[in-house]
Amino acid sequence: MNWEYIASIVNSTLRMTTPILLAALGSAICSKVGVFNIALEAQMLIATFFSIVVNYFTRNVYLSVLAGIFSGALIGYIVAVLQVKYRAADMVIGTSMNLLVSGATSFLLYLIFGLRGKLVDSSLVSLPKINLPLIRDIPFLGRMLENLTIIDYLAYVIAILMFIYLYKTVSGFRTLSVGINKEASESLGTKALRIQMSVVTLSGALCGLGGVVLSMGQVTMFTENMTSGRGFIAMAAASLGVSHPLLTIVSSLFFGLCQSIGSALQNVIKSQLTMTLPYIATILALMLSGWRSLKSKNGRSI
Amino acid sequence: MLLEMKHITKEYGTLRANDDVDLSLREGEILAVVGENGAGKSTLMKILYGLEKPTEGDIYINGELQKFRSPHDAMAKKIGMVQQHFMLLQPCTVAENIVYGHEPKKSGIFFDRKRAAAITKELCEKYGLSIDPSLIVSNCPVGLQQRVEILKVLYQDASIIIFDEPSAVLTPQEVGELLKTIKKLASMGKSIIIITHKLSEVMEVADRVMVMRQGKRIKEMAKSETSIEELSFLMVGRHIVERKIPPQETTGTVLDVQDLVLSGSDKKNILDHFSIHVDAGEIVGIAGVSGNGQSELIECITGLTQITSGDILICGKTIVGKTVGERRTAGCACIPEDRYLWGCAKQATLTETSIMAHQREPAISRYGILNTKGIQKFTSGLLERYDVRSGGLSQKTGELSGGNLQKMIVAREIELNSNLLIAAEPTRGVDIGAMEFIHSRLLDKRAKGDAVLLISSELTEIMTLSDRIYVIYDGKVAGEFRKQDATEESLGILMMGGESNEPKAV
Amino acid sequence: MSQKLSNRRITSGLHSAWNTMRQPLIATILGLLVGAVVILACGKNPLSVYAEMFDKSFLKSYYLFSTLTRATPIILCAMATAIAWRAGYINIGVEGQMIIGAFAATVSALFIPGSPILIAIISFIIGMVAGALYALLPAVLTWKFRVSMVICTLMLDYVASYITSYFVTYPLKDVSGDGLALQTAQLDPGMWLPRLTPKNTLHFGFIIAILVVVFMVFITKKTVFGYESKMSGFNPSFARYGGTKQVKVMMITMALSGAIASLAGTVEIFGLKYRYADSMFTSTSYAWTGLMAALIANLNPVGMFFVSIFLAGLQIGGSAIQRSLGIPLEISTIIQCCITLFVSVKLVFNFIKKRKAKSTAAEKGGEKA
Repeated sequence: MNWEYIASIVNSTLRMTTPILLAALGSAICSKVGVFNIALEAQMLIATFFSIVVNYFTRNVYLSVLAGIFSGALIGYIVAVLQVKYRAADMVIGTSMNLLVSGATSFLLYLIFGLRGKLVDSSLVSLPKINLPLIRDIPFLGRMLENLTIIDYLAYVIAILMFIYLYKTVSGFRTLSVGINKEASESLGTKALRIQMSVVTLSGALCGLGGVVLSMGQVTMFTENMTSGRGFIAMAAASLGVSHPLLTIVSSLFFGLCQSIGSALQNVIKSQLTMTLPYIATILALMLSGWRSLKSKNGRSI
Repeated sequence: MLLEMKHITKEYGTLRANDDVDLSLREGEILAVVGENGAGKSTLMKILYGLEKPTEGDIYINGELQKFRSPHDAMAKKIGMVQQHFMLLQPCTVAENIVYGHEPKKSGIFFDRKRAAAITKELCEKYGLSIDPSLIVSNCPVGLQQRVEILKVLYQDASIIIFDEPSAVLTPQEVGELLKTIKKLASMGKSIIIITHKLSEVMEVADRVMVMRQGKRIKEMAKSETSIEELSFLMVGRHIVERKIPPQETTGTVLDVQDLVLSGSDKKNILDHFSIHVDAGEIVGIAGVSGNGQSELIECITGLTQITSGDILICGKTIVGKTVGERRTAGCACIPEDRYLWGCAKQATLTETSIMAHQREPAISRYGILNTKGIQKFTSGLLERYDVRSGGLSQKTGELSGGNLQKMIVAREIELNSNLLIAAEPTRGVDIGAMEFIHSRLLDKRAKGDAVLLISSELTEIMTLSDRIYVIYDGKVAGEFRKQDATEESLGILMMGGESNEPKAV
Repeated sequence: MSQKLSNRRITSGLHSAWNTMRQPLIATILGLLVGAVVILACGKNPLSVYAEMFDKSFLKSYYLFSTLTRATPIILCAMATAIAWRAGYINIGVEGQMIIGAFAATVSALFIPGSPILIAIISFIIGMVAGALYALLPAVLTWKFRVSMVICTLMLDYVASYITSYFVTYPLKDVSGDGLALQTAQLDPGMWLPRLTPKNTLHFGFIIAILVVVFMVFITKKTVFGYESKMSGFNPSFARYGGTKQVKVMMITMALSGAIASLAGTVEIFGLKYRYADSMFTSTSYAWTGLMAALIANLNPVGMFFVSIFLAGLQIGGSAIQRSLGIPLEISTIIQCCITLFVSVKLVFNFIKKRKAKSTAAEKGGEKA
C-alpha cells in the first residue's frame, strides 16, 4: 500500500467527516433532550445556500459563515416552535421542512440569480485553508492534514466542549435531565421547554456550520439539494454513537471514510455505483447497532 | 396558624373539583386529608403546591397572602411535596437526584458531584434516614426511591411537607417505616399534610383529620374524637355493605403454569421456576409489590413475551409457542394492568377499541370483511350493559374518564366468554362506584364457573375477592394461602422477601 | 317525523364532513396567504398570479387534463405512503420503490418477447413485485435488526436512484437518438396505455389510480386487516395485545406500499413517457408531493385523491406562471409545504383543546389515574 495514497484517503476522510460530524452533534444533542429532529437536512441545506448568497454579494468569508449559521439556527428555531412548543408530529414537521427548504432554495436561486441547478462563480471566496508551519513539512502527517479549514478542527473542539458541558457542568446536568424525565425536571423549576427549544435551535446552528463546510470547504458553490441525505446519515451517526458526543466523533469518521472511499473508487468502478456506498454503509451500520442492542436485551418481547 | 387555605374553589369547565374548601395547618402538626378517589384532595394539594391556580380563594402563610404561579414559588415559601408518582431521574444517582435544583458547584459552572454525595450523607444523618448516595435510582426498590423523594424535599429545606398517597406503592412493612419517618419529621418541627384513603394509617399517624367528598370539606376533627367507622361513613356518604361471597366448589384446572422460567438481560431470572394453577370457579390472587415479576407473568401467559423454559397449559393444552391470537381463542382473556398502554388506543373510536380481540368473531366479521351493523350493535350493547357513560359510538377512546374506560375494557374482556380471565390491577385509579361494579363482574365470572387470575397491588382487593392467594417475590412464589388463612401481616412479610413464621397454609 | 330524522342525519353528516375538512381548508387558505406574501415580495400582484395559476391548471380544459395527468402518479404515491403510515410504518422511501418498480417494469417490457398487451401486463406485475420487494427490504431490516425505518427507507431512495442512473448511463442507454439523453429505448407502442381523450395527455393510468383509491377505501373501512393495521398505527402494544400479528401487518402494508408506489411510476412510463429516463421521478418529486397530500388529507383516501389533484394543479399552474410571469415554479412547493405545516399545527390546537377536555374528564373519573 502506498503511504501517500493512504494519507490522501485520511485527508479526504477528515474533510468529508466535518459536515456529518457537526450535523450528528446537532442530532445527538436533540435526542439528549428528548426531541427527534428530522429537519437536519433542511438546517444544513439552507446554510449552504445563504452562505453562498452572502459570499456572492459581500465576498466576505466571516459574513458568509455567520449567514450559514444563522440561517440554520432560524430553521432550527422554527422546528422548535412547531415541534416542541406546539407538539406537532416530528415526522410531519421534519419532512415538510426538508421539502420546504429544498423548494425555497431553488426558488430563491432562480429569483435572485435567474439560475437553475447550481451557482458557481470564480469570484466566490472559500474558507481559508490552514497548513500548520511545522507539521506541513512532516511527510505523512503533513499530507494528512493538508489544506484543512479551521472548521474541520473546530468540529472536534465543539464535540469535546459539548461532552464537557453535558457531563461536567450543572447546566449540562439540567439539560440532560430534561431528556431523562421532563416532568421531574419541571417539577423542580427547570424550564424544560425553553431548554428543548434552545437545544433544537443550537442543532440548527451546528447543522448550519456543517452546511457552510459543504458549500465553502472543498468546493465553493451551491447546488440544489447538495446535502443529498447527509442530514439523515448524520442521524444514523448520532444513533450509532448512542448520542454521546465523543462516540459520535468515531461514528462520523466511519461515514466520512465511506464517502472518501466511495470517491476514491471512482477510478475503478463507475461513479454512479460508488456513490451508493455511503448510503449502503449507513444501513449496514444501523443494522450493526440494532443487532448489538438486540443482543444485549436478549430478545425479550416479539 | 402556619398555613391557611380559605374558600378554595377550582372549576374545570363545568366540574367543581374543589368547592369552597378551607384548610389550616399548625407548626409541627400532622394533618390527614382523607377522601375517595375524585373527592378533590389531589386538586387541593396541587393548588397549594402551585401546580394549579384556584378559580377562587386565597392561601396564607403566617398570615401573609400568597400567589403561587408555579411549584417554584411554593418551594420558595418552604412548601415541599412528595409526589405519588415519583419525580426522579431514574438513570442518575441518589445524590444527583437529591441536590437537583441547587447543585453544589466548582468554579462557578461545574457540577461538584463529590460534594453532592457529602451533602446527601449529612442530610441522611440529620434526619436519621439511611441511603447510599452513589446508588443508581432505577436499581433502588420503591421504598428507597420514596426516601430519595423525601430527602429531596428536606434538602430544599421545606417546612411544610405534603405526602400524596405515600403508601399506595409500599408493602405493609415499608408503610410502617414511612409512618415512623413522618412522625419523626413532625417531632423535628416539620408540618405535614398527608393525603390518603387508607384509614388505618390516618389513625396511626395523624393529629387532625379532614374529610373531603365530591370536592367539599365534609368535616374536620381531632383524631382522638373519631374512629375508622365514622371516617369511612363520612368519606363514602353511606355505609358500605360488607360483601358476602358464597363458597363454591372448583371443577378442574383451567390455568396451569408449570416451572416457568423467564430469563432477563443479566442472567438473573425475572420469573424463576414459577408454578401456579387456577381452577374453574375460583378467583386466585397474586399479591406482591409491583415489579416482582407480575407484569412479566401476564405477558408470558398472554403470549406477549416468549418464555425461556417451563410450560403453560390452558384447559390441559399447552399454549407455549402459540401466538397471542391463538391463546385468546384457546380461552385466555386479559384485563391489562395499564389501560392506556395495552388496553386501548386513545385516538381510536369506542367501536374500534371495543372490538379488539373480537374482530374475527362471526358477528363482527366474515372472511376478513367487517360487518359494520354487527359492530355497532355489539358496541352499543356493551356500553349499555356495562354502564359505560360515553358521548356516542364515534367518541374517541381517550376522551372517556378513567373509570368508564376501565369498565369498557372489562366489558370487552368478559364478553369474550373465555375459560380464563386475567385481571391485572382491574380497579386502579377508578372511583368507588366503578370499583364495586367491576368487583361484581369478576365475581359473576367466578359464579359462572370460570377461572379468574387477579393481580393487584391493593392488598385489600386481593384479600376480599380471592379464594386462594399466591405471594410473588423476586420472580418466585413466596407463599400460598387459603382465603381464611391470609392476614395482612403474613402476606406483607412474604411480599418483602421475609420468611413466614407460620406453616405454609396449603 | 321521518323527514325530520333524515334531515337531522343529513345535518349531522354535514357536520362531521365539515369537521374533517375544516383543518385542511383553513391550512390551505393560510398556505395560499404565505404564497401571496412571497409573490408580493417578488413584486407581483398575488391575486392576478393566483388567477393565472388557477386558469392554467383547472379552468382551461387542456390544462385541466394536464393537471389530472400529473395528479395520477401523485395520487398513487399518496396511497402508497398512506397505507404504510397509517399502520405506523414511516415509509419515506416511496420514491425509491417507485424508481425500482418502474425501472423493472420498463426493462421487462423492453426485453421479454411476446404479444405487447400480454407483456405489458406481465411488466406491470413484475414492476409491482420489484417495488414490493424493495419496500420489504427495510421492513425485514426493521424487524430483524430494529433499524430506523425512516433513515433506512430514505437511504434506499438514493441507492435506487444511483443504481438506475448507472444502468441508463451505460448498459441500457438508448443509442438510437443523439446519444446525449440518459434514457432507455422506447417501449413498443402496442404496450402504451390508451389515452382517455384523443387530444390530451390524460391516460388510462388515471382510471387505475381511481381503482386504487376505491381499493384503499375498501381496505381501510371494511376489512379486518385495515382495522388491525390502523390500530397498530395508533398503539402497537394494544394491537399486539389484541392478537394482531405485527410482523404480518408490517410485511403486508410495506409490500402493498411498495407495489402501489411501483404502479405510480409504471403508469407514468406506460401512459406518458414510454421510456425510463434518468432522474425522471426525482426531479418531478411525485413521491414527496404524494407524501404531502397524504399528510394534508390526514391519510383519508378520498381526501388524498382530491388533495393530490389540487397539488398537481398547483404545480401545473406554477410552471405556467414561471413561463409567463417569471415567478419560479417552486412557489408551488413552498405553498404545499406551508399547507402541511399549518395542517399539523392546526391538529395541535385541536389536540390541546381535547387534552383540556380530557384532563377535566380524568379529574371527574379519579384523581389517581
